[in-house]
Amino acid sequence: MIIELGHFSLVLALAVAVVLSVIPLYGSRRRDTALMDLAPAGSVLLFLLVAASFAVLTYAHVVSDFSVLNVWQNSHSLVPLIYRLSGVWGNHEGSMLLWLLILVFFSALVAIFGRNLPDTLKVNVLVVQAWITTAFALFILLTSNPFARLSPAPGEGKDLNPVLQDLGLAIHPPLLYLGYVGFSVCFSFAVAALLEGRIDAAWARWVRPWTLAAWTCLTAGIAMGSYWAYYELGWGGWWFWDPVENASFMPWLAGTALLHSALVMEKREALKIWTLLLAILTFSLSLLGTFLVRSGVLTSVHAFATDPSRGVFILAILMIFIGGSLSLFAFRAPSLNAGGLFAPISREGALVLNNLILTVCTATVLIGTLYPLLLETLTGEKISVGAPFFNLTFGLLMIPLLVAVPFGPLLAWKRGDLLGALQRLYVAAGLSLVVALALYYRENGGPVLAILGMAMGLFLVFGAFVDLGGRAGAGKVSASVAWRRLKGLPRSAFGTALAHMGLGITVLGVVAVTTFQSEHVVEMKPGMTTEAGGYVLTFDGMREAKGPNFTEERGHFTVSRGGAAVADVWSSKRVYVAQRMPTTEAGILTFGLSQLYVSLGDHMDDGGIVVRVWWKPYILCIWGGALFMMAGGIVSLSDRRLRVGAPSRRSRPATPAMEPAE
Amino acid sequence: MLFWILVAVLTAVSAVVLLHPLLRGGTVLSAQRAGEAAVYRDQLQEVERDRASGLISADEAEYARAEIGRRLLAVSARGEDAAKPEGRPWRRRIAEVLVVALVPAIGLSLYLKIGSPDMPDQPLAARLAEPGNDMAILIAKVEAHLAGNPNDGKGWDLLAPIYFRTMRLDDAEAAYRNAIRLLGPSPERLSGLAETLLTDADGIVTEDARLAFEKAVALDGNNPRAKFYLALAMEQAGDRARAKVAFEELAAASPAGAPWLPLVNEHIARNGGTPVAAAEAPKAPGNPSAEDVAAAEAMSGGDRQQMIEGMVESLDARLKDDPNNFEGWTRLIRSYVVLDRREQAEEALRRGLAAFPASGKEGQQLVALGRELGLSGEGAQE
Repeated sequence: MIIELGHFSLVLALAVAVVLSVIPLYGSRRRDTALMDLAPAGSVLLFLLVAASFAVLTYAHVVSDFSVLNVWQNSHSLVPLIYRLSGVWGNHEGSMLLWLLILVFFSALVAIFGRNLPDTLKVNVLVVQAWITTAFALFILLTSNPFARLSPAPGEGKDLNPVLQDLGLAIHPPLLYLGYVGFSVCFSFAVAALLEGRIDAAWARWVRPWTLAAWTCLTAGIAMGSYWAYYELGWGGWWFWDPVENASFMPWLAGTALLHSALVMEKREALKIWTLLLAILTFSLSLLGTFLVRSGVLTSVHAFATDPSRGVFILAILMIFIGGSLSLFAFRAPSLNAGGLFAPISREGALVLNNLILTVCTATVLIGTLYPLLLETLTGEKISVGAPFFNLTFGLLMIPLLVAVPFGPLLAWKRGDLLGALQRLYVAAGLSLVVALALYYRENGGPVLAILGMAMGLFLVFGAFVDLGGRAGAGKVSASVAWRRLKGLPRSAFGTALAHMGLGITVLGVVAVTTFQSEHVVEMKPGMTTEAGGYVLTFDGMREAKGPNFTEERGHFTVSRGGAAVADVWSSKRVYVAQRMPTTEAGILTFGLSQLYVSLGDHMDDGGIVVRVWWKPYILCIWGGALFMMAGGIVSLSDRRLRVGAPSRRSRPATPAMEPAE
Repeated sequence: MLFWILVAVLTAVSAVVLLHPLLRGGTVLSAQRAGEAAVYRDQLQEVERDRASGLISADEAEYARAEIGRRLLAVSARGEDAAKPEGRPWRRRIAEVLVVALVPAIGLSLYLKIGSPDMPDQPLAARLAEPGNDMAILIAKVEAHLAGNPNDGKGWDLLAPIYFRTMRLDDAEAAYRNAIRLLGPSPERLSGLAETLLTDADGIVTEDARLAFEKAVALDGNNPRAKFYLALAMEQAGDRARAKVAFEELAAASPAGAPWLPLVNEHIARNGGTPVAAAEAPKAPGNPSAEDVAAAEAMSGGDRQQMIEGMVESLDARLKDDPNNFEGWTRLIRSYVVLDRREQAEEALRRGLAAFPASGKEGQQLVALGRELGLSGEGAQE
């Protein structure tokens, strides 16, 4: 009965979403507040209904109710509790329900915390959110219902895909979805603005927290996914330019562009139409990502034929929302008045450059991802656009952006002084070169380009400090005054610096790993040794072990340096009982920011085993940088100035005009 | 009943939440531009702060202030026309009607179409505590027991034939091997293992299967099944002379009227011998004729598949005309499962149950068979 209540709750949510899609919209056109008030109340109700239904599905997974098709397909009585929970979204139906839950969660947040928004704007935002909710609730109920039942119920489940039975992947999808779906709010704001036919600087201010929150979560989700692929798949790589990865990377690039263009719009009321377009494009790319991953187009173009209803349904959603919003944009954009002017060398100019490069990058990734699919559909020819294409195009495109990043925050709005910025940055540039050279000598190898690459990463890091120092007036005023001024800087300044620094750290990690990593593939028998990154690994032998739902063979390695043992590591091959699927669990040892990565291969006939050993210098910088970017997002999000007119107006005296008459 | 009460409550609560703003009559439209003005005022303060900290010059600050000031002015100019809310009672009545009608209508009609309101929850713990005649759970229980005590040969012995019948061939092979390892070889276990291997190899008697059959014959000389497959192995290996002898020996040793005799005779003929005259066994309805089987064996893999499908379809057609054939139904259901055409298997189960209602003995057997093969048998409840 509980399960059927969850099912009904989801159906009821669809009904409520239909009502919310229509009545408040009419109300806002006619300025009828009673009709408009339906939107916030209904949005909260919608969230509660979907949350209840999600809780029921979780319950079904936890108690292993195999009469639910979804549980039977993706769970097993022996799976530990944590993976029963993550199994809820470790499959198509459940993850779509999570998608919906996060969507209505954001709607509810707008309904609750959007009190400072003009009423009609807020109502229209919620109405657009309700449209998206309706489409996805229909999609879930009609083509991928997680509450489909089985009678009679099987006695045992088919088990969750073993590679998904991992802590990293338990957290990765919710974070990624928070990012993906978070951009739906920006999309709704854009469409609402187009519906009203009016847009100004304040709009950007209202959208900014949502963009920041979504961007931060997406950054975290992508970094988590990348780290998961690194340690779980056993190939030692951290980014594969895989279409699924690209699907999440494209909204990130577009979202980053949106974050920056919204800044110009907020401060200078320029780039308004462009920002609207970016908001629409970012969410469209999120939808496209969902479509690519969920329709099965990616694994094979022919997967369409096996489950046409699902693919066609998402394609229809895609066309309605992307096509509809872009048509609305084309129809309304010319009537919006454009904003302020600025010189090419200015903060705005730098941000335009940022946007230009980021959008071109997005387009590059989009083409690289879709071109093989398109070609296969049209001609049947299979080609693979892999890392070389992306590294060359994307890599080259990023270089000017990376060089420009430290300049941006140093330039003044409207018209800037490039020479002045250069003068302030030469210390950072010099420091970067010195440290990059030092690192080069330490690693003692690698092409000269690597030095430049690392210098670029360091330039970003030091540039962030120069920016903060300059704002504090370091060098011009006494140290104590500078410190006080530094503390008084708005949090968004720290956010900018942190995020740019994080980007630099990631670049540093990427360059270091790409050029200095070493790989050894050796066949080892117990007692043999191999060497990587100055460490000597001794293979001690294999041992059998047993987990809750898997058996594994573990190989033990002793790691020594200069003759003294410094650490030991297990690396194992697992076989999951239910699906009889082998997976590898790499053994990873961390030394500072670098890692030693040991992965087991096949057994050889003579009793040896193939062992792959990688030395990955500074690899943790890649994800460490992402952590800094996230921290930047969070710090910026906590900026007091963003809460202007927010419910808690403790910080500033409320002006009479700001009192919402409720 | 409780379920429907809760459904009604849920629907009513949702409708009330949506009706509340309508019945309250709406709030006064809040001063539209207040939030906007606040944003610009905040920007003014920021410019002031930046100027004070020396980030921008007094000139720049003046420009910025002027620009923001223009925005503020624009807001207050627009603000005038915005604050006139209008509300018409008839519009609200229509909205109320829409809420009251749409929410239950969409909710209930869609749910009745796609939901299974009569199905109870079946948490695993409760099912394990109270298995009843839930075949899947009984198997799962034995499996769980064996996971903890992998050396309990009796458990493997029990599971092996069940796995075989439900076409879980890998599991069946492992279970037979475990049972043989723990309880020692017996003709049944050995033949079972060999048949599993042979089914897995699409009817080819592999070396492993042949060895197992040989051991079974060594343990029990009177094992026509094992002997048949051993002879078939010789035939498949191209050793027709020895195959003929072996088939002839088998035919000679079989009692008159044994059901396998026609098939054996067919093979004797194929290998160039004279069929042993035997009384025609009473032919089970729907059984493939000896010719069919012989033809199937002579064909290539693809053709054989096609022929098997053809046979299954003809059986299906025959049962359509004459549904009163219990054995035919079980064979048809199994065949569809083996061919991995589960939808048709479900369909066959439903039709079989229509001929033999689940209340009767045969009907019960059909239900059990469906369960064993993992068919949902929705027809069973109807």
